[in-house]
Amino acid sequence: MTFGCKILHPYKLLEMNFIKEILESEKRLAIPIMTHPGIEALGKIVKEAVCSGEIHYEAIKYLVDKYDTFAGTAIMDLTVEAEAFGTKINMPDEEVPSVIGRLVSDLESVEALAVPNLSAGRIPEYIKANKLAAENIKNKPILSGCIGPYSLAGRLYDMSEIMVAIYIDPDTINILLQKCTDFLISYCKALKQTGTAGVIMAEPAAGLLSNEDCMEYSTKYVKQIVDAVQDETFAVILHNCGNTGQCNDAMIQSGANALHFGNKIDMAEVLRVCPENIVVSGNLDPVGIFKQADKEEVAKATNELLNISKGYKNFVISSGCDLPPHVSTENIDAFFDTVKAFNNQ
Amino acid sequence: MNPILEKIFECVEFGKINLAANFPPQMKGQPGADEYTKEALDSGITPSDIMNEALIPAMNKVGQKFTENKIFVPQMLLSAKAMNAAMEHLKPFFKSGEVKRKGTFILGTVFGDLHDIGKNLVGMMVEGAGWEVIDLGIDVKTEKFVETLQQHPNAIVGISALLTTTMVNMEPVIKAIKEMSPATKVIVGGAPLSQEFASSIGADGYGKDPQASIQWLDSVVA
Repeated sequence: MTFGCKILHPYKLLEMNFIKEILESEKRLAIPIMTHPGIEALGKIVKEAVCSGEIHYEAIKYLVDKYDTFAGTAIMDLTVEAEAFGTKINMPDEEVPSVIGRLVSDLESVEALAVPNLSAGRIPEYIKANKLAAENIKNKPILSGCIGPYSLAGRLYDMSEIMVAIYIDPDTINILLQKCTDFLISYCKALKQTGTAGVIMAEPAAGLLSNEDCMEYSTKYVKQIVDAVQDETFAVILHNCGNTGQCNDAMIQSGANALHFGNKIDMAEVLRVCPENIVVSGNLDPVGIFKQADKEEVAKATNELLNISKGYKNFVISSGCDLPPHVSTENIDAFFDTVKAFNNQ
Repeated sequence: MNPILEKIFECVEFGKINLAANFPPQMKGQPGADEYTKEALDSGITPSDIMNEALIPAMNKVGQKFTENKIFVPQMLLSAKAMNAAMEHLKPFFKSGEVKRKGTFILGTVFGDLHDIGKNLVGMMVEGAGWEVIDLGIDVKTEKFVETLQQHPNAIVGISALLTTTMVNMEPVIKAIKEMSPATKVIVGGAPLSQEFASSIGADGYGKDPQASIQWLDSVVA
Protein backbone atom coordinates (compact mmCIF):
# COMPACT_ATOMS: atom_id res chain seq x y z
CA MET A 1 0.00 0.00 0.00
CA THR A 2 1.38 3.43 -0.83
CA PHE A 3 0.67 6.99 0.17
CA GLY A 4 2.02 9.28 -2.50
CA CYS A 5 5.46 7.97 -3.37
CA LYS A 6 6.29 6.79 0.14
CA ILE A 7 5.82 3.15 1.01
CA LEU A 8 4.60 2.53 4.53
CA HIS A 9 4.90 -0.91 6.03
CA PRO A 10 2.16 -2.44 8.17
CA TYR A 11 3.87 -1.61 11.46
CA LYS A 12 3.42 2.06 10.66
CA LEU A 13 -0.02 1.65 9.12
CA LEU A 14 -1.21 0.34 12.46
CA GLU A 15 0.19 3.54 13.96
CA MET A 16 2.33 1.56 16.32
CA ASN A 17 4.70 3.62 18.36
CA PHE A 18 7.88 1.76 19.14
CA ILE A 19 8.60 3.57 22.40
CA LYS A 20 4.99 3.54 23.59
CA GLU A 21 4.72 -0.18 22.95
CA ILE A 22 7.78 -0.85 25.07
CA LEU A 23 6.65 1.36 27.93
CA GLU A 24 3.21 -0.27 27.93
CA SER A 25 4.38 -3.84 27.53
CA GLU A 26 3.43 -6.25 30.29
CA LYS A 27 6.35 -8.51 29.55
CA ARG A 28 10.10 -7.94 29.41
CA LEU A 29 11.02 -7.31 25.78
CA ALA A 30 14.35 -8.35 24.27
CA ILE A 31 16.27 -6.73 21.41
CA PRO A 32 19.84 -7.99 21.18
CA ILE A 33 21.78 -6.02 18.59
CA MET A 34 22.69 -8.68 16.10
CA THR A 35 23.15 -9.28 12.40
CA HIS A 36 26.25 -11.50 12.27
CA PRO A 37 24.33 -14.65 13.27
CA GLY A 38 21.98 -13.97 10.36
CA ILE A 39 24.83 -13.38 7.92
CA GLU A 40 26.44 -16.65 9.01
CA ALA A 41 23.17 -18.60 8.83
CA LEU A 42 22.77 -17.46 5.23
CA GLY A 43 26.23 -18.81 4.42
CA LYS A 44 27.48 -15.33 3.60
CA ILE A 45 30.53 -13.43 4.77
CA VAL A 46 30.56 -10.03 6.46
CA LYS A 47 32.08 -8.36 3.43
CA GLU A 48 29.15 -9.44 1.28
CA ALA A 49 26.60 -8.21 3.81
CA VAL A 50 28.16 -4.77 4.27
CA CYS A 51 28.32 -4.27 0.52
CA SER A 52 24.92 -5.62 -0.49
CA GLY A 53 21.59 -4.21 0.66
CA GLU A 54 19.87 -7.46 -0.29
CA ILE A 55 22.13 -9.72 1.79
CA HIS A 56 22.03 -7.24 4.67
CA TYR A 57 18.22 -7.33 4.57
CA GLU A 58 18.11 -11.14 4.32
CA ALA A 59 20.26 -11.37 7.47
CA ILE A 60 17.88 -9.08 9.38
CA LYS A 61 14.88 -11.04 8.15
CA TYR A 62 16.39 -14.39 9.08
CA LEU A 63 16.90 -13.26 12.66
CA VAL A 64 13.50 -11.62 13.20
CA ASP A 65 11.84 -14.74 11.80
CA LYS A 66 13.91 -17.11 13.94
CA TYR A 67 14.01 -15.34 17.29
CA ASP A 68 11.53 -13.69 19.62
CA THR A 69 13.26 -10.35 19.34
CA PHE A 70 10.96 -7.36 19.63
CA ALA A 71 12.73 -5.60 16.76
CA GLY A 72 15.17 -6.31 13.97
CA THR A 73 18.45 -4.39 13.93
CA ALA A 74 20.63 -3.30 11.03
CA ILE A 75 24.37 -3.93 10.85
CA MET A 76 26.40 -1.80 13.25
CA ASP A 77 29.00 -0.73 10.71
CA LEU A 78 30.87 2.31 11.97
CA THR A 79 32.66 2.97 8.70
CA VAL A 80 29.88 3.49 6.17
CA GLU A 81 29.45 7.19 6.96
CA ALA A 82 33.22 7.86 7.14
CA GLU A 83 33.62 6.11 3.79
CA ALA A 84 30.95 8.42 2.33
CA PHE A 85 33.14 11.37 3.39
CA GLY A 86 36.06 9.80 1.50
CA THR A 87 37.97 7.86 4.16
CA LYS A 88 39.83 4.75 3.00
CA ILE A 89 38.37 1.53 4.34
CA ASN A 90 39.90 -1.82 5.12
CA MET A 91 37.35 -4.51 4.38
CA PRO A 92 38.26 -8.00 5.56
CA ASP A 93 36.02 -10.94 4.66
CA GLU A 94 34.92 -11.90 8.16
CA GLU A 95 34.97 -8.68 10.15
CA VAL A 96 33.22 -5.33 9.93
CA PRO A 97 35.32 -2.83 7.99
CA SER A 98 37.67 -0.38 9.68
CA VAL A 99 38.97 3.05 8.76
CA ILE A 100 42.53 3.47 7.46
CA GLY A 101 44.44 6.68 8.16
CA ARG A 102 42.93 10.11 8.58
CA LEU A 103 41.05 12.30 6.15
CA VAL A 104 41.48 15.68 7.85
CA SER A 105 44.13 17.06 10.17
CA ASP A 106 43.74 20.83 10.54
CA LEU A 107 41.45 23.80 10.02
CA GLU A 108 42.23 24.06 6.31
CA SER A 109 41.41 20.43 5.55
CA VAL A 110 38.32 20.49 7.77
CA GLU A 111 37.02 23.63 6.05
CA ALA A 112 37.65 22.06 2.65
CA LEU A 113 35.83 18.87 3.59
CA ALA A 114 32.59 18.50 1.65
CA VAL A 115 29.48 17.03 3.28
CA PRO A 116 28.72 14.06 1.02
CA ASN A 117 25.36 13.31 -0.52
CA LEU A 118 23.52 10.05 0.03
CA SER A 119 24.82 8.45 -3.15
CA ALA A 120 28.36 8.25 -1.74
CA GLY A 121 30.09 4.96 -0.92
CA ARG A 122 27.90 2.19 0.45
CA ILE A 123 25.19 4.53 1.77
CA PRO A 124 22.73 3.53 -1.01
CA GLU A 125 23.16 -0.15 -0.09
CA TYR A 126 22.45 0.58 3.56
CA ILE A 127 19.34 2.58 2.67
CA LYS A 128 18.27 -0.27 0.40
CA ALA A 129 18.68 -2.83 3.22
CA ASN A 130 16.55 -0.73 5.57
CA LYS A 131 13.90 -0.16 2.89
CA LEU A 132 13.67 -3.87 2.09
CA ALA A 133 13.43 -4.72 5.77
CA ALA A 134 10.79 -2.09 6.52
CA GLU A 135 8.70 -3.14 3.52
CA ASN A 136 8.96 -6.88 3.85
CA ILE A 137 9.11 -7.59 7.57
CA LYS A 138 5.48 -7.21 8.44
CA ASN A 139 5.24 -8.12 12.08
CA LYS A 140 8.13 -6.40 13.83
CA PRO A 141 9.68 -2.95 13.89
CA ILE A 142 13.07 -2.51 12.27
CA LEU A 143 15.78 -0.34 13.78
CA SER A 144 18.20 1.31 11.40
CA GLY A 145 21.77 2.05 12.45
CA CYS A 146 24.14 4.97 12.13
CA ILE A 147 27.24 6.31 13.82
CA GLY A 148 27.15 9.23 16.26
CA PRO A 149 28.72 12.61 15.38
CA TYR A 150 31.74 12.47 17.69
CA SER A 151 32.58 8.88 16.73
CA LEU A 152 32.31 9.85 13.05
CA ALA A 153 34.49 12.93 13.53
CA GLY A 154 37.06 10.71 15.28
CA ARG A 155 37.20 8.42 12.27
CA LEU A 156 37.82 11.37 9.97
CA TYR A 157 40.36 13.19 12.19
CA ASP A 158 42.02 10.18 13.89
CA MET A 159 40.63 8.97 17.17
CA SER A 160 43.70 9.71 19.31
CA GLU A 161 44.19 13.12 17.73
CA ILE A 162 40.60 14.30 18.17
CA MET A 163 40.80 13.49 21.87
CA VAL A 164 43.60 16.03 22.21
CA ALA A 165 42.24 18.45 19.61
CA ILE A 166 39.04 19.12 21.54
CA TYR A 167 41.32 20.92 24.01
CA ILE A 168 43.97 22.45 21.80
CA ASP A 169 41.91 23.25 18.70
CA PRO A 170 38.23 23.12 19.68
CA ASP A 171 37.06 25.52 16.95
CA THR A 172 38.28 23.19 14.20
CA ILE A 173 36.66 20.20 15.85
CA ASN A 174 33.36 22.04 16.20
CA ILE A 175 33.40 22.81 12.46
CA LEU A 176 34.08 19.13 11.75
CA LEU A 177 31.35 18.00 14.15
CA GLN A 178 28.82 20.27 12.48
CA LYS A 179 29.67 18.79 9.08
CA CYS A 180 29.30 15.28 10.49
CA THR A 181 25.99 16.26 12.06
CA ASP A 182 24.66 17.78 8.84
CA PHE A 183 25.42 14.55 7.04
CA LEU A 184 23.90 12.39 9.78
CA ILE A 185 20.70 14.45 9.76
CA SER A 186 20.36 13.89 6.05
CA TYR A 187 21.18 10.16 6.41
CA CYS A 188 18.77 9.65 9.31
CA LYS A 189 16.00 11.42 7.39
CA ALA A 190 16.58 8.97 4.52
CA LEU A 191 16.51 6.03 6.95
CA LYS A 192 13.28 7.35 8.43
CA GLN A 193 11.80 7.57 4.94
CA THR A 194 12.40 3.85 4.47
CA GLY A 195 9.77 3.17 7.12
CA THR A 196 11.94 1.85 9.93
CA ALA A 197 10.82 2.50 13.50
CA GLY A 198 13.98 4.24 14.64
CA VAL A 199 17.73 4.40 14.47
CA ILE A 200 20.35 3.05 16.85
CA MET A 201 23.00 5.75 16.87
CA ALA A 202 26.35 4.32 17.98
CA GLU A 203 28.45 6.92 19.77
CA PRO A 204 31.05 4.84 21.68
CA ALA A 205 33.94 7.29 21.35
CA ALA A 206 32.01 9.86 23.38
CA GLY A 207 32.16 7.41 26.25
CA LEU A 208 35.87 8.13 26.55
CA LEU A 209 35.10 11.72 27.53
CA SER A 210 34.06 13.35 30.78
CA ASN A 211 30.37 14.22 31.11
CA GLU A 212 31.13 17.88 30.39
CA ASP A 213 33.11 17.09 27.24
CA CYS A 214 30.50 14.55 26.18
CA MET A 215 27.86 17.30 26.48
CA GLU A 216 29.96 19.76 24.48
CA TYR A 217 31.30 17.49 21.75
CA SER A 218 28.62 14.84 21.43
CA THR A 219 25.28 15.58 23.09
CA LYS A 220 25.01 19.07 21.57
CA TYR A 221 25.24 17.52 18.11
CA VAL A 222 23.24 14.37 18.83
CA LYS A 223 20.42 16.66 19.97
CA GLN A 224 20.38 18.37 16.58
CA ILE A 225 19.81 14.99 14.95
CA VAL A 226 17.18 14.03 17.53
CA ASP A 227 15.35 17.31 16.94
CA ALA A 228 15.46 16.77 13.18
CA VAL A 229 14.16 13.19 13.00
CA GLN A 230 12.63 11.98 16.23
CA ASP A 231 8.85 11.90 16.54
CA GLU A 232 6.10 9.43 17.46
CA THR A 233 6.88 7.29 14.42
CA PHE A 234 10.66 7.32 14.64
CA ALA A 235 12.82 6.85 17.72
CA VAL A 236 16.45 7.68 18.26
CA ILE A 237 18.18 5.04 20.38
CA LEU A 238 21.48 6.50 21.54
CA HIS A 239 24.05 3.76 22.08
CA ASN A 240 27.21 4.50 24.03
CA CYS A 241 29.10 1.40 25.11
CA GLY A 242 32.17 3.44 26.05
CA ASN A 243 30.35 5.16 28.90
CA THR A 244 31.26 3.61 32.22
CA GLY A 245 28.78 5.78 34.14
CA GLN A 246 30.32 9.23 33.95
CA CYS A 247 28.34 10.21 30.84
CA ASN A 248 24.85 9.16 31.94
CA ASP A 249 23.59 12.70 32.29
CA ALA A 250 25.00 13.72 28.90
CA MET A 251 23.21 10.78 27.31
CA ILE A 252 19.92 11.69 29.00
CA GLN A 253 20.26 15.33 27.91
CA SER A 254 20.46 14.28 24.24
CA GLY A 255 16.67 14.06 24.10
CA ALA A 256 16.84 10.59 22.56
CA ASN A 257 13.82 8.64 23.72
CA ALA A 258 15.84 5.46 24.19
CA LEU A 259 19.35 4.93 25.58
CA HIS A 260 21.41 1.82 25.02
CA PHE A 261 24.32 0.97 27.34
CA GLY A 262 27.39 -1.25 27.16
CA ASN A 263 28.45 -4.04 29.48
CA LYS A 264 30.89 -1.88 31.45
CA ILE A 265 28.09 0.00 33.17
CA ASP A 266 26.11 -0.74 36.31
CA MET A 267 22.63 -1.20 34.88
CA ALA A 268 20.93 -0.93 38.27
CA GLU A 269 22.41 2.55 38.67
CA VAL A 270 21.44 3.53 35.12
CA LEU A 271 17.85 2.45 35.71
CA ARG A 272 17.81 4.44 38.91
CA VAL A 273 18.96 7.69 37.30
CA CYS A 274 17.14 7.53 33.95
CA PRO A 275 13.64 9.06 33.79
CA GLU A 276 10.80 6.54 33.41
CA ASN A 277 9.75 7.92 30.03
CA ILE A 278 13.14 7.07 28.49
CA VAL A 279 13.59 3.50 27.33
CA VAL A 280 16.76 2.01 28.81
CA SER A 281 18.43 -0.96 27.17
CA GLY A 282 21.48 -3.15 27.55
CA ASN A 283 23.85 -4.63 28.55
CA LEU A 284 24.94 -8.31 28.50
CA ASP A 285 28.59 -8.65 27.52
CA PRO A 286 28.59 -9.48 23.78
CA VAL A 287 32.05 -11.05 23.99
CA GLY A 288 32.51 -12.40 27.51
CA ILE A 289 28.98 -13.79 27.72
CA PHE A 290 27.44 -14.26 24.28
CA LYS A 291 30.60 -15.33 22.47
CA GLN A 292 32.89 -16.87 25.06
CA ALA A 293 30.62 -18.25 27.77
CA ASP A 294 28.62 -21.46 27.61
CA LYS A 295 24.83 -21.60 27.50
CA GLU A 296 24.50 -22.06 31.26
CA GLU A 297 26.53 -18.91 31.88
CA VAL A 298 24.45 -17.01 29.30
CA ALA A 299 21.27 -18.09 31.08
CA LYS A 300 22.71 -17.11 34.47
CA ALA A 301 23.83 -13.66 33.31
CA THR A 302 20.51 -13.07 31.54
CA ASN A 303 18.58 -14.05 34.65
CA GLU A 304 20.68 -11.77 36.82
CA LEU A 305 20.00 -8.80 34.55
CA LEU A 306 16.30 -9.61 34.36
CA ASN A 307 16.12 -9.63 38.13
CA ILE A 308 18.12 -6.42 38.51
CA SER A 309 15.72 -4.67 36.12
CA LYS A 310 12.53 -6.08 37.64
CA GLY A 311 10.05 -3.31 38.29
CA TYR A 312 11.38 -1.01 35.56
CA LYS A 313 8.83 -0.93 32.76
CA ASN A 314 11.18 1.13 30.60
CA PHE A 315 13.83 -1.58 30.35
CA VAL A 316 14.57 -3.70 27.27
CA ILE A 317 17.08 -6.48 27.74
CA SER A 318 19.81 -6.48 25.11
CA SER A 319 23.44 -7.11 24.39
CA GLY A 320 25.83 -4.34 25.46
CA CYS A 321 26.91 -3.87 21.85
CA ASP A 322 26.38 -5.75 18.62
CA LEU A 323 27.07 -9.46 18.80
CA PRO A 324 30.43 -10.24 17.19
CA PRO A 325 30.85 -12.86 14.48
CA HIS A 326 30.68 -16.53 15.42
CA VAL A 327 28.40 -16.41 18.46
CA SER A 328 26.87 -19.86 18.87
CA THR A 329 23.19 -20.46 18.18
CA GLU A 330 23.10 -22.32 21.48
CA ASN A 331 24.00 -19.15 23.38
CA ILE A 332 21.48 -16.99 21.53
CA ASP A 333 18.83 -19.63 22.22
CA ALA A 334 19.81 -19.65 25.90
CA PHE A 335 19.29 -15.88 26.03
CA PHE A 336 15.82 -15.98 24.48
CA ASP A 337 14.77 -19.08 26.44
CA THR A 338 15.71 -17.36 29.69
CA VAL A 339 13.74 -14.22 28.80
CA LYS A 340 10.75 -16.38 27.84
CA ALA A 341 10.90 -18.34 31.10
CA PHE A 342 11.14 -15.07 33.05
CA ASN A 343 8.06 -13.71 31.29
CA ASN A 344 6.14 -16.93 31.96
CA GLN A 345 6.77 -16.79 35.69
CA MET B 1 61.13 18.97 45.91
CA ASN B 2 63.15 21.33 43.75
CA PRO B 3 60.81 24.11 42.45
CA ILE B 4 61.67 23.38 38.80
CA LEU B 5 60.91 19.68 39.29
CA GLU B 6 57.65 20.71 40.90
CA LYS B 7 56.85 22.74 37.80
CA ILE B 8 57.64 19.79 35.52
CA PHE B 9 55.45 17.57 37.66
CA GLU B 10 52.60 20.07 37.45
CA CYS B 11 52.96 20.50 33.66
CA VAL B 12 52.81 16.74 33.10
CA GLU B 13 49.95 16.24 35.51
CA PHE B 14 47.82 18.89 33.84
CA GLY B 15 49.00 18.41 30.25
CA LYS B 16 50.89 21.67 29.70
CA ILE B 17 53.14 20.74 26.79
CA ASN B 18 55.04 23.94 26.08
CA LEU B 19 54.83 27.73 26.17
CA ALA B 20 52.80 27.88 22.96
CA ALA B 21 50.16 25.42 24.17
CA ASN B 22 46.92 27.13 25.17
CA PHE B 23 45.89 24.20 27.38
CA PRO B 24 45.20 24.12 30.26
CA PRO B 25 43.59 27.57 30.26
CA GLN B 26 44.83 28.41 33.76
CA MET B 27 48.45 27.88 32.61
CA LYS B 28 48.14 29.78 29.33
CA GLY B 29 51.21 31.92 28.61
CA GLN B 30 53.38 29.95 31.02
CA PRO B 31 56.28 27.65 30.13
CA GLY B 32 55.44 23.97 29.75
CA ALA B 33 57.15 20.64 30.35
CA ASP B 34 59.38 21.34 27.35
CA GLU B 35 60.85 24.60 28.67
CA TYR B 36 61.03 23.57 32.32
CA THR B 37 62.91 20.35 31.49
CA LYS B 38 65.49 22.31 29.52
CA GLU B 39 65.76 24.80 32.39
CA ALA B 40 66.21 21.96 34.86
CA LEU B 41 69.06 20.42 32.86
CA ASP B 42 70.68 23.83 32.37
CA SER B 43 70.55 24.45 36.10
CA GLY B 44 72.39 21.20 36.80
CA ILE B 45 69.55 18.94 37.87
CA THR B 46 70.43 15.44 36.81
CA PRO B 47 68.35 13.65 34.14
CA SER B 48 67.75 10.85 36.64
CA ASP B 49 66.21 13.26 39.11
CA ILE B 50 63.99 14.75 36.40
CA MET B 51 62.87 11.25 35.48
CA ASN B 52 62.49 9.80 38.97
CA GLU B 53 61.27 12.82 40.93
CA ALA B 54 59.08 14.57 38.36
CA LEU B 55 58.11 12.57 35.29
CA ILE B 56 57.49 9.11 36.72
CA PRO B 57 55.57 10.34 39.80
CA ALA B 58 53.52 12.74 37.64
CA MET B 59 52.53 10.03 35.18
CA ASN B 60 51.80 7.71 38.07
CA LYS B 61 49.40 10.31 39.44
CA VAL B 62 47.83 10.73 36.00
CA GLY B 63 47.33 6.96 35.73
CA GLN B 64 45.82 6.84 39.17
CA LYS B 65 43.39 9.67 38.38
CA PHE B 66 42.40 7.86 35.18
CA THR B 67 41.77 4.62 37.05
CA GLU B 68 39.61 6.54 39.53
CA ASN B 69 37.59 8.21 36.71
CA LYS B 70 38.82 11.64 37.80
CA ILE B 71 40.26 12.29 34.35
CA PHE B 72 39.51 10.73 30.98
CA VAL B 73 41.28 9.81 27.76
CA PRO B 74 41.80 13.38 26.43
CA GLN B 75 43.43 14.61 29.65
CA MET B 76 45.58 11.49 29.81
CA LEU B 77 46.77 11.96 26.23
CA LEU B 78 47.63 15.61 26.92
CA SER B 79 49.66 14.57 29.96
CA ALA B 80 51.44 11.99 27.83
CA LYS B 81 52.23 14.64 25.23
CA ALA B 82 53.67 16.90 27.92
CA MET B 83 55.76 14.02 29.17
CA ASN B 84 56.98 13.31 25.64
CA ALA B 85 58.07 16.95 25.32
CA ALA B 86 60.16 16.54 28.46
CA MET B 87 61.54 13.17 27.35
CA GLU B 88 62.91 14.68 24.13
CA HIS B 89 65.47 16.50 26.27
CA LEU B 90 66.38 13.31 28.14
CA LYS B 91 66.89 11.07 25.11
CA PRO B 92 70.65 11.75 24.80
CA PHE B 93 71.10 10.63 28.41
CA PHE B 94 69.20 7.40 27.80
CA LYS B 95 71.46 6.68 24.84
CA SER B 96 74.62 7.40 26.82
CA GLY B 97 73.41 5.21 29.66
CA GLU B 98 73.42 8.05 32.16
CA VAL B 99 69.75 7.46 32.84
CA LYS B 100 68.67 3.87 33.30
CA ARG B 101 65.25 2.65 32.28
CA LYS B 102 63.32 -0.08 34.03
CA GLY B 103 63.36 -2.24 30.94
CA THR B 104 62.25 -2.48 27.34
CA PHE B 105 58.64 -2.96 26.30
CA ILE B 106 57.85 -4.08 22.77
CA LEU B 107 54.28 -3.12 21.94
CA GLY B 108 51.98 -3.63 18.96
CA THR B 109 48.42 -4.22 17.82
CA VAL B 110 48.08 -7.79 16.65
CA PHE B 111 47.96 -8.64 12.95
CA GLY B 112 44.60 -8.08 11.28
CA ASP B 113 43.72 -5.27 13.65
CA LEU B 114 44.12 -1.59 12.75
CA HIS B 115 43.04 -0.03 16.05
CA ASP B 116 45.55 1.92 18.05
CA ILE B 117 44.07 4.25 20.66
CA GLY B 118 44.36 1.72 23.50
CA LYS B 119 47.84 0.69 22.43
CA ASN B 120 48.92 4.33 22.16
CA LEU B 121 47.64 5.11 25.63
CA VAL B 122 49.43 2.14 27.13
CA GLY B 123 52.63 2.93 25.25
CA MET B 124 52.72 6.54 26.40
CA MET B 125 51.88 5.69 29.99
CA VAL B 126 54.44 2.89 30.16
CA GLU B 127 57.11 5.19 28.73
CA GLY B 128 56.16 7.75 31.34
CA ALA B 129 56.62 5.10 33.99
CA GLY B 130 60.27 4.79 33.06
CA TRP B 131 60.32 2.11 30.41
CA GLU B 132 61.77 2.18 26.94
CA VAL B 133 58.87 1.54 24.59
CA ILE B 134 59.31 0.12 21.11
CA ASP B 135 55.99 0.71 19.38
CA LEU B 136 55.62 -1.56 16.37
CA GLY B 137 52.32 0.06 15.36
CA ILE B 138 49.18 -1.68 14.14
CA ASP B 139 48.57 -4.90 12.19
CA VAL B 140 51.88 -6.34 13.48
CA LYS B 141 52.75 -9.76 12.11
CA THR B 142 54.14 -12.53 14.34
CA GLU B 143 57.50 -12.35 12.56
CA LYS B 144 57.85 -8.68 13.42
CA PHE B 145 57.31 -9.31 17.14
CA VAL B 146 59.83 -12.17 17.06
CA GLU B 147 62.40 -10.23 15.03
CA THR B 148 62.19 -7.22 17.39
CA LEU B 149 62.50 -9.51 20.40
CA GLN B 150 65.66 -11.02 18.91
CA GLN B 151 67.11 -7.51 18.79
CA HIS B 152 66.00 -6.83 22.40
CA PRO B 153 66.16 -10.25 24.06
CA ASN B 154 65.40 -8.97 27.56
CA ALA B 155 62.28 -7.09 26.52
CA ILE B 156 58.73 -7.74 27.65
CA VAL B 157 56.13 -7.94 24.89
CA GLY B 158 52.69 -6.29 24.89
CA ILE B 159 50.02 -7.22 22.37
CA SER B 160 46.78 -5.28 21.85
CA ALA B 161 43.52 -6.15 20.05
CA LEU B 162 40.15 -4.47 19.83
CA LEU B 163 38.23 -6.99 17.77
CA THR B 164 36.86 -10.37 18.75
CA THR B 165 38.07 -11.72 15.44
CA THR B 166 41.62 -10.48 15.95
CA MET B 167 42.05 -11.24 19.65
CA VAL B 168 42.41 -14.89 18.64
CA ASN B 169 45.47 -13.89 16.58
CA MET B 170 47.30 -13.19 19.83
CA GLU B 171 47.69 -16.87 20.64
CA PRO B 172 49.97 -17.77 17.69
CA VAL B 173 52.09 -14.68 18.41
CA ILE B 174 52.54 -15.73 22.04
CA LYS B 175 53.29 -19.28 20.95
CA ALA B 176 55.99 -18.12 18.53
CA ILE B 177 57.53 -15.85 21.17
CA LYS B 178 57.57 -18.59 23.80
CA GLU B 179 59.04 -21.11 21.35
CA MET B 180 61.90 -18.77 20.60
CA SER B 181 62.31 -17.45 24.12
CA PRO B 182 60.41 -19.34 26.85
CA ALA B 183 61.45 -16.86 29.54
CA THR B 184 60.01 -13.82 27.75
CA LYS B 185 56.98 -12.38 29.47
CA VAL B 186 53.95 -11.34 27.42
CA ILE B 187 51.09 -9.08 28.47
CA VAL B 188 47.90 -8.65 26.45
CA GLY B 189 45.14 -6.05 26.54
CA GLY B 190 42.18 -4.62 24.65
CA ALA B 191 38.47 -3.97 25.10
CA PRO B 192 37.10 -7.47 24.41
CA LEU B 193 39.73 -9.28 26.51
CA SER B 194 39.51 -10.61 30.03
CA GLN B 195 41.90 -12.18 32.52
CA GLU B 196 40.39 -15.56 31.68
CA PHE B 197 41.02 -15.10 27.97
CA ALA B 198 44.56 -13.86 28.58
CA SER B 199 45.34 -16.93 30.68
CA SER B 200 43.76 -19.27 28.15
CA ILE B 201 46.07 -18.11 25.34
CA GLY B 202 49.23 -18.37 27.43
CA ALA B 203 49.77 -14.70 28.24
CA ASP B 204 51.64 -13.98 31.46
CA GLY B 205 49.77 -10.76 32.16
CA TYR B 206 46.51 -8.98 31.39
CA GLY B 207 46.43 -5.19 31.18
CA LYS B 208 42.93 -4.12 32.11
CA ASP B 209 43.96 -0.47 31.73
CA PRO B 210 47.26 1.43 31.35
CA GLN B 211 47.84 1.67 35.09
CA ALA B 212 47.28 -2.07 35.57
CA SER B 213 49.76 -2.74 32.74
CA ILE B 214 52.39 -0.57 34.42
CA GLN B 215 51.87 -2.24 37.77
CA TRP B 216 52.28 -5.66 36.17
CA LEU B 217 55.40 -4.59 34.24
CA ASP B 218 56.96 -3.09 37.36
CA SER B 219 56.20 -6.28 39.29
CA VAL B 220 58.04 -8.36 36.68
CA VAL B 221 61.28 -6.39 37.09
CA ALA B 222 60.95 -5.78 40.83
